[in-house]
Amino acid sequence: MTGYFIRRFLLIIPTFIGITLLVFAITRLVPGGPIEQLMIQAQLGGETGSLQRSQGGGTLSDEQLEELKHYYGFDQPMLSSYVRWLKQVVQFDLGTSTRYQDPVWQIIKERFPVSIFYGLTTLILTYLVCIPLGLAKGMYHGSALDSWSSAVVFLGYALPSYVIGIALISLFAGYWDWFPLGGFASDNYDDLSTLGKAGDIFHHAALPLIAYLAGSFAVTTLMMKNALMDNLSADYMRTAAAKGLSRSASVSGHALRNSLIPVATSFGNNISLLLGGSFLIETIFNIDGIGLLGYEAIIERDYPIVMGILVISSLLYLLGNILSDICVALVDPRIRFGGGSST
Amino acid sequence: MSIFALRNPVAKKRWQRFRQSRRGFYSTWILLALTLCSFGAELIANNRALVVVYENQWFFPTFSAVNSGKDFGLNYSYEVNYRQLQSQLAEQGDGWVLMPIIPFSPLETDLIAGDFPPHAPSLTKGHYLGTDTSGRDVAARLLYGFRTAIVFSLLLLVFNYAIGVAIGCLMGFWGGAFDLIFQRIIEIWSNIPFLYVIMIVASIITPGFWSLLFMMAFFGWTSMTWYMRTATYKEVARDYVMAARAMGASGSRIVFRHILPNSVSTLVTFVPFSVASGITSLTALDYLGFGLPPPVSSWGELLKQGTENLESLWLVGSVVIAMTLILMLVAYIGEAIRDAYDPRQFSYYE
Repeated sequence: MTGYFIRRFLLIIPTFIGITLLVFAITRLVPGGPIEQLMIQAQLGGETGSLQRSQGGGTLSDEQLEELKHYYGFDQPMLSSYVRWLKQVVQFDLGTSTRYQDPVWQIIKERFPVSIFYGLTTLILTYLVCIPLGLAKGMYHGSALDSWSSAVVFLGYALPSYVIGIALISLFAGYWDWFPLGGFASDNYDDLSTLGKAGDIFHHAALPLIAYLAGSFAVTTLMMKNALMDNLSADYMRTAAAKGLSRSASVSGHALRNSLIPVATSFGNNISLLLGGSFLIETIFNIDGIGLLGYEAIIERDYPIVMGILVISSLLYLLGNILSDICVALVDPRIRFGGGSST
Repeated sequence: MSIFALRNPVAKKRWQRFRQSRRGFYSTWILLALTLCSFGAELIANNRALVVVYENQWFFPTFSAVNSGKDFGLNYSYEVNYRQLQSQLAEQGDGWVLMPIIPFSPLETDLIAGDFPPHAPSLTKGHYLGTDTSGRDVAARLLYGFRTAIVFSLLLLVFNYAIGVAIGCLMGFWGGAFDLIFQRIIEIWSNIPFLYVIMIVASIITPGFWSLLFMMAFFGWTSMTWYMRTATYKEVARDYVMAARAMGASGSRIVFRHILPNSVSTLVTFVPFSVASGITSLTALDYLGFGLPPPVSSWGELLKQGTENLESLWLVGSVVIAMTLILMLVAYIGEAIRDAYDPRQFSYYE
């Protein structure tokens, strides 16, 4: 099994190179790349890209063009500049932001705490709510609790979390003014007492957290419920009942652990959310995390940051997948990865 | 539903089970009706009249060439304003005008004197759901936006499934090096952060309808391949495939006559989810400003306007309600299809 996971870890490398090379090539080869955009913009007097700095109007001279190409690293063939970029990434140097003139890694690092706060809270709340709820729904299938919670779960299942986020912010922050319109903390945050600080953060965090939760809540609850109900009709549960175990004892002793397997499978996927956040929710609630940074970087054509975030989010995603498998192996001792000659 | 010619007893039983789940069955009809309505959107929301009777002559402006104002005895030669004509003819009494239910086209800005858009919903002005920030009717844009979204997601589904089924099936059928190479490619593809990369590409080339469609199909075709690959592997190992081989059937015959008919039908269970994800990702891209170019009616663009003008609650409200309705219908259909394919009977022991 260790061998299997080592192989999985090694396979990250080609996959990672594949993803970054693809995106790197796209930013280079697609007609209308940053240089062309800048040239058009310069001809139009810098009026098109609303967020871009004006280039002063008129056409660009060849010198300026060369300078720009050099600035973006476009004066070299695609592959060699990719190799140069990759070499830097391996040395944990993601380059310098063309917008802030700061190291990309430092900019991303500054945004981490916010995204981690939301990711971690969402993760904990999801499992705290979903596992007991799914358990209750499965054990008392068809009861009032089951049918009422089903309505909520179904709504969360059908609607994407960003729509829920937009609905929440326009009702509770825009219309009724119960919650702030976004951001992470108030302007007078530093003057507040410790209790006030916590209250302030949660006042700001309530709506985004609901939106984050809505995404994972429905899926995890349904998964938990369905897995439990499958197990409740399994033969070993009949045996447990036959030897005289009470229902609750047989569920907690036998069915519960087996039902956690699919939930454990999804754990790794939440890791990427933990750090990466969500572009949409961070944009809607104006939370200064990784997602919003990525969105702004794309708009501002700050490619070092765009690539930096791609590196981090794809690495997290790949690691998350492996973590999922490790979790499954921990929960389910029957599973042997990579054993024998499986296809 | 005799068009499917359900001779296959398994398919017949599935269809019966699908009909039995009332909620899913009715949702299917409602969604079909809504889709058909949106295809006839020009007859429901338009600034051209359906019928004009003027001096005992019948006009059908929706389908005819542009009528100038002079045709109806007005003093201008540009296109007729049928809403004005309606009240004018009603006064004069020498004809009448039948307007569509929503008498505005989705691209038309209706400026009301003494008020800045967005205008609040009002029955008297004909803007049942209000107007957006440039004075365009929200109800009309909602309807046309639904058509864009549903057509887009259905086309995306066709592209994704066609590529996914073809590659997945070949991976299972050929196996070997082809299988290995595509396994690696698919692993790379499915690990790409989809929305982020689409945003990057869309920021470089401003996409139109088709280029956005190809882009999303280019990055999103992988979901079906794993399923098709496993299904093909299973079918290839069966005796009837070996029998067909022994009789000298060619590879293409085995794939098209034997393997595909036996494995493709289960793809139906994925369709509702693909439709829903197509609609949500298009709306998300439009919301972020990386979707379809501006004048096109789209839900995401309305959402964007709504979040920028939170005091105009009808903008966000109408889109969110419309999305909830459509996605709930799709989810109910999905639930019913899944139940039809995989009837679960729950039981427990006490």
